[in-house]
Amino acid sequence: MDVLDQLGAVREGKLSRRAFNRSLFAVGISTVMMPVLPRRALAAPEDHATWFTWGGFDIPDYFDEYVAKRGELPNFSTYGSAEEALNKLQSGFVADIAMPCMTDVPRWSETGLFQPIDTSRLSNWPDIMPDLWNVPYNLKDGKPWLVPWEWGQTSIVYRTDLFELQGEESWDMLWDQRYAGRLGMLGGGGDAWWCAAIKAGVPFDQIHTDEAFEKISAVLREQRPLIRVYSDDTTSTDTALAAGELVACMAWNSSAVSLIGQGVPVKFAKPKEGALTWVCGQMLHAQAPNLDSAYDILDSLMSEAASAALIGGSGYGGSNRKAYDRFTDDELAALGLSRNPLEILEAGHLGIPQTAEWDRRMTETWEQIKLGF
Amino acid sequence: MTHAAGQSLRVARPSALVRFLHRHEGWRGYLLMAPALLLMAAAIIFPIGMTLVMSTWSLSGYDMVATPGLGNYTAMAEHPMFRVLILRSLTIALTCTAVTVLLCYPMAYFVAFHGGRHKAMWLIVMTLPFWTSYLLRVFAWKVVLGYEGVLNTGLIGLGIVDEPIAALLYSQTAVTIVLAHSWAAFALLPIYVSLEKIDRSYLEAAADLGDGPMKRFWRITFPLSLPGVVAAFIMMFVPTVGEYITPAMVGGPDGMMIGNLIQAMFGPMNNWPAGAALAVVMMLTIGLAGLVFVVLDRLLRR
Amino acid sequence: MARYTGFHAPNRTLAIYAAVFAFVLYLPILFIPIFSFNSGVYVKFPLEGFTLQWYVDLFNREPLKAAFWNSVKIAATVSLLSTVIAVPAALAIARYRMPGKAPAVSFMMLPLVLPGLIMGVALLGLLNRLGVTLSLVTVTIGHMVICLPYAISVLLPRFVGFNRSLEEASADLGEPPLRTFWRVTLPCNYPGILACMLMTFTISFDEYFMAFFLSGPKSTLPMYIWGQLRFPQDFPSLLALSTLILLFSFALIFTSLRLSKVGQTAQTGAQK
Repeated sequence: MDVLDQLGAVREGKLSRRAFNRSLFAVGISTVMMPVLPRRALAAPEDHATWFTWGGFDIPDYFDEYVAKRGELPNFSTYGSAEEALNKLQSGFVADIAMPCMTDVPRWSETGLFQPIDTSRLSNWPDIMPDLWNVPYNLKDGKPWLVPWEWGQTSIVYRTDLFELQGEESWDMLWDQRYAGRLGMLGGGGDAWWCAAIKAGVPFDQIHTDEAFEKISAVLREQRPLIRVYSDDTTSTDTALAAGELVACMAWNSSAVSLIGQGVPVKFAKPKEGALTWVCGQMLHAQAPNLDSAYDILDSLMSEAASAALIGGSGYGGSNRKAYDRFTDDELAALGLSRNPLEILEAGHLGIPQTAEWDRRMTETWEQIKLGF
Repeated sequence: MTHAAGQSLRVARPSALVRFLHRHEGWRGYLLMAPALLLMAAAIIFPIGMTLVMSTWSLSGYDMVATPGLGNYTAMAEHPMFRVLILRSLTIALTCTAVTVLLCYPMAYFVAFHGGRHKAMWLIVMTLPFWTSYLLRVFAWKVVLGYEGVLNTGLIGLGIVDEPIAALLYSQTAVTIVLAHSWAAFALLPIYVSLEKIDRSYLEAAADLGDGPMKRFWRITFPLSLPGVVAAFIMMFVPTVGEYITPAMVGGPDGMMIGNLIQAMFGPMNNWPAGAALAVVMMLTIGLAGLVFVVLDRLLRR
Repeated sequence: MARYTGFHAPNRTLAIYAAVFAFVLYLPILFIPIFSFNSGVYVKFPLEGFTLQWYVDLFNREPLKAAFWNSVKIAATVSLLSTVIAVPAALAIARYRMPGKAPAVSFMMLPLVLPGLIMGVALLGLLNRLGVTLSLVTVTIGHMVICLPYAISVLLPRFVGFNRSLEEASADLGEPPLRTFWRVTLPCNYPGILACMLMTFTISFDEYFMAFFLSGPKSTLPMYIWGQLRFPQDFPSLLALSTLILLFSFALIFTSLRLSKVGQTAQTGAQK
């Protein structure tokens, strides 16, 4: 039946239920089968590489150079956790570029899924701060597995109105008995284990020793009854801090930026023992199907514009040193960064990649501790 | 005229295939089930097979060593962590399934018997909340159960408690409550379906023979609805044991379930063989629990 | 024929129970629209102020809209196909004696037991070996595998108790089996089939694990939401989307109910 006829029939009360149902059915089917309206910039043709990254980073802001060169954005594929990403890759999913963190490099590089990056193909490479990539386990025959893209700090975010400081800011805050049941920790061993090492006084170059394992495990077990939540889900922990559910939580600098921006009275602690610093970046798939496009993606991400967008947009540090010139000292300080990123990197403790065996042992121990064993 | 009438009445002899199917009920049945069976065969055999096989492997460095062995299983028997988690998962699943089925039954009864013309509407209204995202619903629950959340504020306001109850969120209680809510629709629908098809004439006959409403319910309605109740129970219990997202978001350190450990093994711990072994144990456990239900079901049908 | 509830007098207690049940069911859900208008980014009380900003943001978030439509398409397809496959299967299980029926049925119920994570990883491995490229189609297939057991479970009790005399009557009157099915079986079991379609749609629309592992470059709504959890600022837009989904669904039902009532009065009108 024609649409107009139907409407007329409805008005006159003559439409039978059957006919009505039939037309509803037809409408439903056609709505669903209607192709999604063309999205201009995001409908990329086949020969663009795929950037497999954290949800939230799949935005055009980092791709000015790429779009200038190729006219369109690359393909994106997102994940919510690096573990899931590795799972998917190990199960056979092929993405040209993935985004782990520096401490993941030994584990990821040994899977055989990735290839070292030929930095001579990256025009922006000279501007990338060497301290971020020139670390153990990252270089193979002079070529890095991971090109750094963002760096930041893990420290404590605490409510200045709810948490009564005793003395200086320190990692002891997260072991404070007064606030049992109101403290939070990040869930990933990559942050928690290392911060516990700082608290236990274990120097990072000793972190692979058995003694270190004992000390750190002891300290974490001691802490467990005080912890309300172990989570990497920033939205949840930030909300909990804003709601007063948590009074202090291990967090990344972006949390502090976001909470302060919303007017919640928090502070990003500078613990006297030093905060944890980390670096994350891009790794190239060994069977990347679109190698040229992939290198263009990398280059675009390494550009000054992308780094600046990263700093301004999320509060994480960019790896391109020129990007820092775009911000005033005050702006950088508010974000927990500085014009001379090295000084922050050196004041904190930079996580050092360890062997794959260490990684497994640490994760096993940590997961068991979290479960209460 | 008669000639034409005779022609129109003549029915063509059915083909050999149709005749065969007519005689052999079993073949008819399997033919109807064929699409479902084929899809499942293709999609289940491999995952389960792979899980079983992988559970016998072990790790060496980052590679999986493909020599079969029961190492993963013995490790599980020794370490108390697995037993505790499995028991905890079973308990939570059992509790919230029982609570949900119990609470949903009267609702399903209401829609089936008192829904009248609006049955379809009630059904849809009951399922609508579940078209919002699971994750967002869990977030919404955090608002209700939180330290300064709706429930706590209400309880303090009413003077029932002096301080907020911290154990409402990030605890096993929270997991049970949120799971019960999340699966309500899935428990409701099977119970409704089986209540709805009960022939009203049975009830009328019983009324005519002198049974009051309560008696009618217990002697006719309830027993006839049991298949639906059992279906609802199984449909909710089985997946709930392996739940992962809800415990991760509202469980707190003590609310983790077996699904979280399996995910940890496949993820950060990168020990796929052990994860597979744990999954096999979980499946067997659920299978055993399921057997119990099936036996109950058979008994009840008598 | 009007529904004869005869001696089922409107039960006050039960009606109150139903109302309370519906209220508790919807209570957490109601916070989603409430916070979608909240100007604060975090989902917590007290409310900060009224804003429509998150809704405006929605229109600019291409990936979110794309993910949403992908989910709708997949869920609708899954719902339709699962029901189409499950109805004959459930009929067969309910009626026919088949050798090896019980094991076959248990086999089909197996996906319920497997954790979604493992099914996802394993299916991805399988598809990989077969050389199939990942896309929304693979997600659809994955979802169908999960939804089928539910679909059959919902339909089965219905078909088991279905009074076959109606079908037999129809056959006696000369209808070939397929038309009997279409004109008698289906309409009589329509609440069950509707329940089945609703359930499978809901499961697919909200499913995360299979979708994550089996999807190619396009993502579904749950995947997108899960990925957004690291960015609190972007969270309220998700609440806005959810609210819109709720509103749209309500509007759809309201409209269809009004219009179906129109059909009924038309028929009674014609009888005069």
